[in-house]
Order: sequence, then structure tokens, then C-alpha cells
Amino acid sequence: MLVVAFFILWIGAISVRLVHLQVNQSEWLREQALDQRRDELKSKMLRGSILDRTERALAMSVHVKSLYADPAEITDVEKTAQQVAEVLKTKPEQILNDLREAKEKGKRFVWLARKLDEDAAQEINKALEDTKLKKFDLPKFAGLHWKEEQKRNYPYKKLAAQVVGFSNSDDVGQAGIEQSQEELLNGAVIQAWQDRDRLGRVYDQSEIKREPPKDIVLTINSSIQYKVEHALEKGVKAAHAKSGVAIVLDPKTGEVLAMANYPTFDPNNFNEFPTENFKNKAVQNSFAPGSIFKLVTYGTALQEKLIKPDEWFSCGNGVIEVGKREFRDNHCGKAISFTKALAISSNLGAIKVGLKIGENKFSNYIRHFGFGEMSGIELPAEMRGLVRPLEKWKGDSLASMSIGYEIGVTPLQIASAFATIANDGVRVRPRIIKEIRQADGKVISTTESENIRVVSAEAALKLRGMLREVVLKGTGKEAAIDGYSSAGKTGTAWKYDPKIKRVSGSKYVSSFIGFAPVDDPSIVIAVVLDEPQGALRNGGQVSAPIFREIAEQVLPELNVVPDENIRPDNLMAQEIPSETEVAPISTQKEDAPKKAEKTATSEKIKETKKENEPPSEEKKSIKQKPVMLNNENENKLSRERIKQKT
Amino acid sequence: MSRKRVSRAKQNQSPNRERKPISWRYSLLTLVCGLFLVVGLFGAARQHFSSIEFGIKNSRIRKQITELEAGQRRLILAKEIALAPDEIKKIAKIFGLKETPAINIETLPANFEPQNRPLAEKSNDTKPHQTVKPDIAAVKKELNKPAKEEKVAKKSSKIITKKDTLQKIPVKEQTFTRERLIADKQF
Repeated sequence: MLVVAFFILWIGAISVRLVHLQVNQSEWLREQALDQRRDELKSKMLRGSILDRTERALAMSVHVKSLYADPAEITDVEKTAQQVAEVLKTKPEQILNDLREAKEKGKRFVWLARKLDEDAAQEINKALEDTKLKKFDLPKFAGLHWKEEQKRNYPYKKLAAQVVGFSNSDDVGQAGIEQSQEELLNGAVIQAWQDRDRLGRVYDQSEIKREPPKDIVLTINSSIQYKVEHALEKGVKAAHAKSGVAIVLDPKTGEVLAMANYPTFDPNNFNEFPTENFKNKAVQNSFAPGSIFKLVTYGTALQEKLIKPDEWFSCGNGVIEVGKREFRDNHCGKAISFTKALAISSNLGAIKVGLKIGENKFSNYIRHFGFGEMSGIELPAEMRGLVRPLEKWKGDSLASMSIGYEIGVTPLQIASAFATIANDGVRVRPRIIKEIRQADGKVISTTESENIRVVSAEAALKLRGMLREVVLKGTGKEAAIDGYSSAGKTGTAWKYDPKIKRVSGSKYVSSFIGFAPVDDPSIVIAVVLDEPQGALRNGGQVSAPIFREIAEQVLPELNVVPDENIRPDNLMAQEIPSETEVAPISTQKEDAPKKAEKTATSEKIKETKKENEPPSEEKKSIKQKPVMLNNENENKLSRERIKQKT
Repeated sequence: MSRKRVSRAKQNQSPNRERKPISWRYSLLTLVCGLFLVVGLFGAARQHFSSIEFGIKNSRIRKQITELEAGQRRLILAKEIALAPDEIKKIAKIFGLKETPAINIETLPANFEPQNRPLAEKSNDTKPHQTVKPDIAAVKKELNKPAKEEKVAKKSSKIITKKDTLQKIPVKEQTFTRERLIADKQF
């Protein structure tokens, strides 16, 4: 009986305990069990890549490892600090201080080394291996652990740096596409639970599925971009300019094939460069366009059938007064055709055309060409430019705007206006993103071009013909391309100086914007140099050679069939001055009387030049040796050739 | 006379009744059930441990996949770095190649019509087409002689025309082109 009673009591006690454990303490016990065997793993998905149109990765992230310490697991802090410092090749004092401080405050996380690549991590694992220690993860050293992180890499370094932008240490985009497409590129945080056995081996894993970040494919062609950057760099250096911008556009699709800025920066080490270099001046800087804006003036007049290209007009005495302001032009002669006026960049001609158009129509067409509004390109901080509303126009505003003053445009806006003429009068919204892809390569979105007709195909064709004359007989002779016909317009505008609160007579923005081939343009190239300081400062002298160099390299790469023969004079290698020698070198073929005549003309121009008179291209189109853009070795060779020749 | 009380149950029992032996069927059934339970228990345990083992293997493979993917990404990055124009330029300079200025770039003739040109021309020749294999050793040898070419350039006194550049300057002078680099890569 006693035995039976004992058994009943025993079983009863067990039952009570079981009920207590499974009913009252079940939650707490479950949590304890999960805590023991389950780890919560938080990691960020790799940021999306930025690719060019030929699938070259302009920005991509890779996994890297960061070493951290858990001071609670470390018994001998001093010894640990010494050993770790030896391996990391740093001072042990800093590590020791960090570990001690963390231990005193009860912190369980101290960074020791961040974003190390796989090879460095493996070396550290080997160096810190404690064979006696039983630890499931690497490094086999008490209190040290690895944390997976990601690092953004820009393999092409400075290439398209302002377009691609960069992201900071927290992988947040700070400039360019990295900034504008942050939402698509940013990797979501993924949570994973790992069940571990008593030895710490993971035997089960579950994670919450998140949508992976997207890859962005740009319209940029890295090969073209490199050539453009190279040509621009040489051009800016040769002209001693403050900075320069070059854009290559496909006029039919609006795709930006290249967008270069100089000076530039390396996004891998962006901290080492001045912040001014981060600015994409193609969209974030507006300038008075000067003579290149005459495209809008003549385009409008042709569309409204107010002028004919071969129509002649009287230049009078070379002075025109509009709104109590005199505009002078010494190159007009007695009478010239509108084609010739555009070719020699006559301000008087453009003003006369502007006056024919009238304020209302001109203002409307300025808007139609896309000025005063953002182009909509997928880049951050794009400027609208400066186009005053019609109510705020002064008496001379129409005349000033006809020749590209009292207006601010971005290089992209003016390039887009030229693309409109190249594309038979249809303006295509410029774009830099070709498509957006999933990580598995599936295309989820493509950008489509938006077309707006600005002028008729007939007017565009006529204007193309007039712009062709600029290159053949006018101020843009340096833009003539071997094997291809080209057209464009030079521009040399005085810069507004905030110090003196008016345009400065010594600071210029020199530009050339053109397209090729003329009949069926494949590319539009815009080159804008800010404050060229050399002896040559005109758009036709400093920007047009850059245009030519870019076009001569890009057109064959795009498989554009040549429409002209190679000029025989261009088959001859030219005498190439070094990059520092930008002063004009008199050509040997040039005869002395002509030279003297030209010098006299230039002096005369200097005398008659008035402060408020905008610079005219023809004034500075005295035959000067163009700035040649060649590498150092070529220069050495050429100098030797010249010596031998002389 | 006293009468002894006997329980009904006992009354029914015959005093000399023999216990029946346990049926072998019953024993067998018990044994089978017992065995079934034991085997089931062991089976479940085995399954549990093997599932853990598979889980560990699975986790290792998953980790391996992640590592391989990360490795692949690192390789892609290394390839991109190697393909960067600056890197190519650096390597080209090591090989003694020189950059061709824009003026010397060969352009197609004006009458070139790629659309009309047939991809393959008809031929009555029945012999198989023979591909000319480049003499790799000779080209490599040529590439490893940077000094000689410079001397040639210094010696030449006349102004070099574009045609001359393409024809007369040794291979190295005009080799820094995409086709050339691709050809080098194939070697």
C-alpha cells in the first residue's frame, strides 16, 4: 500500500510539474530555447549596379568584411589589443582604449577594422588563429567576429564621375544617378533566422524575402565617354580654361552618349577632391549662351517665314539702336545675306531678325525650344536656366536675347535645341537612363522618348544649311571633320561678374555646338569652356577643335558612313605646339602683307570695342593657328620634325 | 453450527483450477508492438538527427553559394577594372604602344556602302577557305622592342602624311586601336 501511495504521489508530482512547465512557463521556456539555438541575422542586400549601354559596370557593390570585437568575451584585453594591432598594423593604444571603454560601459560591439576585402580577411584569420579555442566562426580568436558589409566600387574611376555620382559609407547616394535613383538602387535590409546546434553549426535558416534592388542601365557609352573626357581635358588644359563641359547626344532618340566635365573626381576617393568638382555643370550650371543662341533666333524666323537664307539685308552703318542702347557690328559691311550673317556671327543680323520676330513670338519659341524649364533628364539638381517672363523684358531685351544675352541656359538645354534642328525640328527629351533591370537581368522598365515638334522639317533643313556655312566659311572652320560634313555654331559670351555686377570684359564662356553628318545627323556635340585664359579664347578657336576631335573619333565608332572625302590638306601632319604653347604661331604659308593687314584689323577692333558691346565671333576670327590637342609624345616628335624642317 | 462465509467469487472458483499459459499469439503481438514502438522511436530519432545533419550540409552549401556569388562578383569587378581605359592605356604603354592621334584614325572611303555589300561573296572555288594564322612569336617580339621604333621616328626628317603613317610606321605606332588590343587578347 505504501509503495502504491508513493508511486501515486510521485506521478502526481510529475504531472503537476509538467502542467506547470507546459502551461504556465511554456512561453518563457520557448523563448529561452529559441535564444539558445536561434540567431537573428540582419544584412543589407547589395546595392544595384549602374551599367553603361554596353553592359560595362560603372558602379557596383561587392561583399566585404568588417572585424569587430565583443569585449564581454575577452578576458585579457591588453593581450588582445596587442595581437590585433600587430595583425592590423595599427597602434595598440587606440584598440586598447576602445576595448576598455566598451567593457566598462558594458558595450558588446567595437569596430576594429572596416570593409576589408576577402584576401585581407583571410590573412587576418590565419594570423589570429587560436588552435586551442573552440569557436564555430572565424577568426578563431576569443571575442573577435566578422560582420558582412558591402563596398561600392567605381571600376572606371573618373569616367563619367559626375553622371554616376557616388554613395557615402552608409551606401546612400550623394550625387548623380546614385542620388537620383536612390530608391531603386538601395538594397533592403534582409532578416534571417539561423537555428544552430550545440556546436554552433547552422542546421536551419529562414528569411523574409525582400524585393532585390534594381540595376540601372545608362545611355552612356563608356568608350565614347572616355574619348570625350580625354579630348575635353586636353582642350581645357590647352585653353587654360577654368572648367569645361562636353555632351554627346543622339538627336533622334535624345540619348546622352557622353557627358563629360573637367575638372573631375574619382568617386572611389571622393574625399580627396574639392566639392566643386562633384557638380555636373552640364545640368547644374547656367550661362549666357551668346552667339550659339542665334540658332533659336534664326530657327524662329525661318519657321515663321520671316526671312529666307539667301535674302540680303542692309547693315547700314553697322550700328543699330534698340531701346536706347546701341549695338555695333563692324563686320557686316554694307549688305549681306542672312546665311552669311549667321556664318560670321553678325550680331546686327541676329538683332534685325529678332526684331522681325517680335517679343511675343520669340518668347514663345524660347519656351518651345525647352529653355526656362527642366529637360527632365534623370539627373539630380537640374537647373531650369534663366528665362524672364515677357512682362519683365526691358526695351532692349529682345535685341539682347536675339544674340544670347539676358538669358541663362544649361549646356544640356542648348545641346537639346541643336538636336531639335538636327532631328528635323522635333525636340526629343534628353535622357540618360536606358532601362531598369532586376538583378536576374529581366528588364522591368525602359524609358521612352517624348517628341515635341518645335519647327517644321523644312525650316530645320534650311537652318542646317545655314549652320553648315558657319563651318565652311564662317567662324567655325576649326570644326570641319575629316570624312564627314559638319555644321554648328560658335559662341563667345561675356560672363556676368557678381563682383562688378555686370558682364566682365575679361571673362568668357566659349562654346561650340554642332552636329554631323549634316544631311542625316547622327550626333550632336556641345563643348562649353568656362573662362579660357590663353591667347585664343573664341568658341571657334578653343571649343571647335575639341568638337572636331570628338566627332572624328566618335563617328567611326558609331559606324556612321562618311559623306565627304578626307581633305588633302588634313592628310598632312600639322606642326603641333605643346599644350602650354597656346599663343598663336604664324603659319609659314601666310604672306606678310596679309598678316600685317590682319594685325591692323585686330588693333582697329580693339580700339572700337565698347564696354557694352557683346563680342562678335568675326572680331576674333583672325587667322590663328588652332590649338592642337595631342599628347606629349606627339608634341615632342612634332617639335623635332619642325626643327629638322627648319 | 457456524457457517463459514465464502465470497461468491471464490464460490465460483474451483479450488483446483489450473492457470492457463499466456497465449503465444498474445506474446507475439506484444513483442511486435514493443518492437514497433522501439523501431519507431529509433526511426524518428534517426530522422531527426539526419534532418539536422542535412540542415547543416544545406547551410554549408548555401554559405558556399553565397561565397561563390561574392567571388564571382569580385571577379566581375576585377574584370571591369582591367577593362577600364586608363588600365588598358597603362598596359599598352608597358607594351610600348602609342596613342594614335585623331588625325591618323583611318576613316572609311566616301563611296563605302556597307548595306549593299554582300556578307559573303559567291565563289566557284571549291577549295576550303584558308585562314592565315598570325605569327604570334614575331608579333610579341615586335611588341617587346620599344626603343628601336623611337629611333626610327627621330631619324625621319620629312613630315609624315596620314597615308605614310598608316603605311610606313611599324606596327607598334598604329597598334593602339581596339582591334589591335582585341587581337592581342586573343593571343
